[in-house]
Amino acid sequence: MLNDLQLNSILEDFDIAYWKINLLTKEITWSEHFEALVGEVPTNEPLFEYFINYILHKDYRYDYRVAFENLTTGSEDLNQEIRIKLKNDKFRWFECRNLKSKDSNNETAVLLFVNIHQSKRDQYTIEENFFYYRETAEMTTTGGWYIDIKTHAIYWDDVTKKILDCPKDFNPDYEKRLQFYALEHQEKANSIFEKCEKYGIPFRTELKMASLYGREFWVQVTGKPVYNDEQEIIGIRGVLQNIDENKSNELNLQNSLDIIAAQNSRLFNFAHVVSHNLRSHSSNLSLVVQLLNEAKNAQDKLDLLDNVEDISENLDVAISRLNDMVAHQNLLTKERTNVSFKQSLDMVISSVSSLINRESAKIISEFKALKEIQYIPEYLESILLNLITNAIRYKQPGRVPVIFIQTYSVNDQNFMEISDNGIGIDLDQYGDKMFGMYKTFHRNPDAKGIGLFITKNQVETMGGSISVTSTVNIGTTFKIKF
Amino acid sequence: MGQKMELACIIDDDKIYVNLVRKIIEIKKLSENLLIFKNGLEALEYFKIILTNMSEEKLPDIIFLDLNMPVMDGWEFLGEFIKIKNQFDKKITLYVVSSSIDPRDLERAKSFNLVTDYLIKPIELKKFEKIFDRVA
Repeated sequence: MLNDLQLNSILEDFDIAYWKINLLTKEITWSEHFEALVGEVPTNEPLFEYFINYILHKDYRYDYRVAFENLTTGSEDLNQEIRIKLKNDKFRWFECRNLKSKDSNNETAVLLFVNIHQSKRDQYTIEENFFYYRETAEMTTTGGWYIDIKTHAIYWDDVTKKILDCPKDFNPDYEKRLQFYALEHQEKANSIFEKCEKYGIPFRTELKMASLYGREFWVQVTGKPVYNDEQEIIGIRGVLQNIDENKSNELNLQNSLDIIAAQNSRLFNFAHVVSHNLRSHSSNLSLVVQLLNEAKNAQDKLDLLDNVEDISENLDVAISRLNDMVAHQNLLTKERTNVSFKQSLDMVISSVSSLINRESAKIISEFKALKEIQYIPEYLESILLNLITNAIRYKQPGRVPVIFIQTYSVNDQNFMEISDNGIGIDLDQYGDKMFGMYKTFHRNPDAKGIGLFITKNQVETMGGSISVTSTVNIGTTFKIKF
Repeated sequence: MGQKMELACIIDDDKIYVNLVRKIIEIKKLSENLLIFKNGLEALEYFKIILTNMSEEKLPDIIFLDLNMPVMDGWEFLGEFIKIKNQFDKKITLYVVSSSIDPRDLERAKSFNLVTDYLIKPIELKKFEKIFDRVA
């Protein structure tokens, strides 16, 4: 048995303090080291009460008193983690337990106080870090993975499995690892892993992966080599993050931008038309007024008044056109419904039957491949009306106008083509202006230059596009992608 | 007022405007004769004919060019006219006249050396007189 002095010096080396408790008298003696830790005790205080009330953290008072009672009266073992206030008023973690080997006559118990503050703090830090790691991984859908190069074992954490639609007990097979990449990215994936495995080159890249069920999505993946003590590469580890949502958000954003830009350009166009058309009339009016002031006789004044009549008529036309444009924009709030091409065409034909009859135009339609479409009926009719009247208006003189209308779909994409045998348009010269507002290309008094602008507008606001091919003196084909 | 101008030219599709300007020119006796084209192409064809016939006396002293016109607008006309202008010996003053108050139009018009100024419709009578006076 060691004497107190020896015990003291050994324990002190390990930063361990102790109490000696006489089980008969309940007298407690603190080791020097313990006193050095917590400071001196005022002489009038019983040691145990002083410890409980001033040194032990209040959270542990009750439990500790009970455990101490059990130790001293029922000789039950005591083993608690407690916080003790040191001389510098700071609380530190200690493990408190009794020495199991009691002396032979069972008169003395020894309680050891082991400073465990550092390891306790490490434990908290680890728990905290683990919490942050897990939350971050969940929130950013970032999974971890490891490939053991020697055994060809692949380890995926739960988030990685979730990203790849795999159940939690799924065991990835090394031989089939490339199946988890989109076909077009398998080679790229293979090459970056190979470079990391052979030469230790780390990687960080965006790849398209494929889940267990073949769902494809974008990930950002990083990988770094893992070396053993001999500086051999034994594995690759890294993280992968599902960035598909970001990617699609990016695309949506781009889409919204495009829509806004299109709206903006329509607004500009509209403002331009408003400004130009209204201003040209008002400026004419102002010229008339100036001339009226200069006019010398009644006849001159009367002549000028004729102009006022013309101006007012033109102004009226301009305003009603502007109204038309606004009305077309307002239709947008309407819902899409199933629209039959045949019914729409019949409607249009009957509304312009006089023009068709006068020109003996022939309209041939072929809707077998695509009979109807989800659309706003007024738009489809307006598109057909504009393109048909256009085709008849710009017929080749001396040739009976023939209009061929065909609908079809390719890869789930719906199309309509409207072809005529008219005079055609020199696209090299006018192509880029074709669908602009107030552009007319033929010396034709009927040309108002607004029809194709509206048609393009309608097609685009419905999410489609319109293109044109034409040969002068042969005819024109408009192709609408719905 | 100085001497009367020989020949003025208006390229504009707005019939009412053209009529009113014609009246102003008549009343104020600003020019002996007046050429009127309702779009850029008609005007360009005229200038090309003059070029082949070398009949320069039929060249205008001043041109008032509208911007928004069907078939060939003012910009396109400027683009074409610039190519043939140097083949004429006569000095031709060209004003762009438009109801557009878009600053981009103004900027663009001034970028052409052959454009003397950009006039916004309506032009006041006095301004007309001044312009004719200066050119004549």
